[in-house]
Amino acid sequence: MQPDLERARGVAQLLRALPQETAAPYDFREFQHRAQHRTRATRGQTLAAGALLTLMVIAVSVRFFAPAPPAAAPPWVANTAALAPEARSALMEHWLASLPQEPAVVHLGTRAAVTGLEDRIAQLDDLLSAARAAGEARSQLQVLQQERVRLVGTLVQVRYAETLADDSL
Amino acid sequence: MTRLAQTAVAEEVLAQACAGDETARAALYAALASPTLTLIRRMVGQRCLAEDIFQDTMMIFFERLPQYRREAPLGAWLRQIAISRCLMYLRSPWRRARAYLEVADLPCTAAAVLVTPGYRGEAIDVERALASLPPTARAVVWMFEVEGYSHQEIAHAFGRSVSFSKSQLARAHARLRAWFEPQENATSCNLT
Repeated sequence: MQPDLERARGVAQLLRALPQETAAPYDFREFQHRAQHRTRATRGQTLAAGALLTLMVIAVSVRFFAPAPPAAAPPWVANTAALAPEARSALMEHWLASLPQEPAVVHLGTRAAVTGLEDRIAQLDDLLSAARAAGEARSQLQVLQQERVRLVGTLVQVRYAETLADDSL
Repeated sequence: MTRLAQTAVAEEVLAQACAGDETARAALYAALASPTLTLIRRMVGQRCLAEDIFQDTMMIFFERLPQYRREAPLGAWLRQIAISRCLMYLRSPWRRARAYLEVADLPCTAAAVLVTPGYRGEAIDVERALASLPPTARAVVWMFEVEGYSHQEIAHAFGRSVSFSKSQLARAHARLRAWFEPQENATSCNLT
């Protein structure tokens, strides 16, 4: 044990006897220059990291919290303005029938709007059938028909927005 | 003790440096830079790496200088900053892996790189022996044997147990003894 202790002391003495560095690696002016350079680099890295983080937060927000895209009618709807309400409604319903039953990504708000519109159109269909069966006046039927066309047009806008959102994924 | 902890600085110069005077700070730098770099080199080994940590240490030193409360000698305060920076480096996992590859796998070659040019005779052997140690063991043996830290203080600095400090020191001693007793354990290198 004693020889080990002495050897340890000997090692410690050798380590303590190691010489110092003879000079500073560079002078104070160079130190300041390097310090400024490093501070700028660190600040740049911090800014870059902050910008990256901000972009990521924005991307996530847009992906998950952005409202459904604003409704806009398909371009061909504008060309049907001169058509009779029945013909216009038939064209729009044909386009709606060509769409898949469910969009690729279901937005709850949009889906509720679609379901509500489809329900109201179905109610109007019932009213129109009943009115025709009851022999209601033509003007009364036209009012119901125009309302139905308006609802179908709104439904086209909402479904069109859904297809645009799907395409952007 | 190394020269760093014992370095004396005139009170007037220190007060001016704390107030931000550039001339006084340059004087402090001239007095403290060399022993600081020596300490860091002993702790981490390679000179280029030591210069990098040295720059960090001195930047922190001057940044915090107005907050220096004179509870310890200035050199001891700077030594604490330097050792803290060295241990941050040693604790970093990817840097530890790099140091392992550079030093532990090739002790003889690494030792040759680590030796300070201009040293003569026995100092070269001692420095090679120190360089042959794994980085953590080298830091522990230096802190304990030269800087005068206790096992508790080393354990606290590394965030490990006292047993860790003791075992690292024992292994370091064993390797250093083997280095200086080549007739019993031929691990040394004949570098000319």
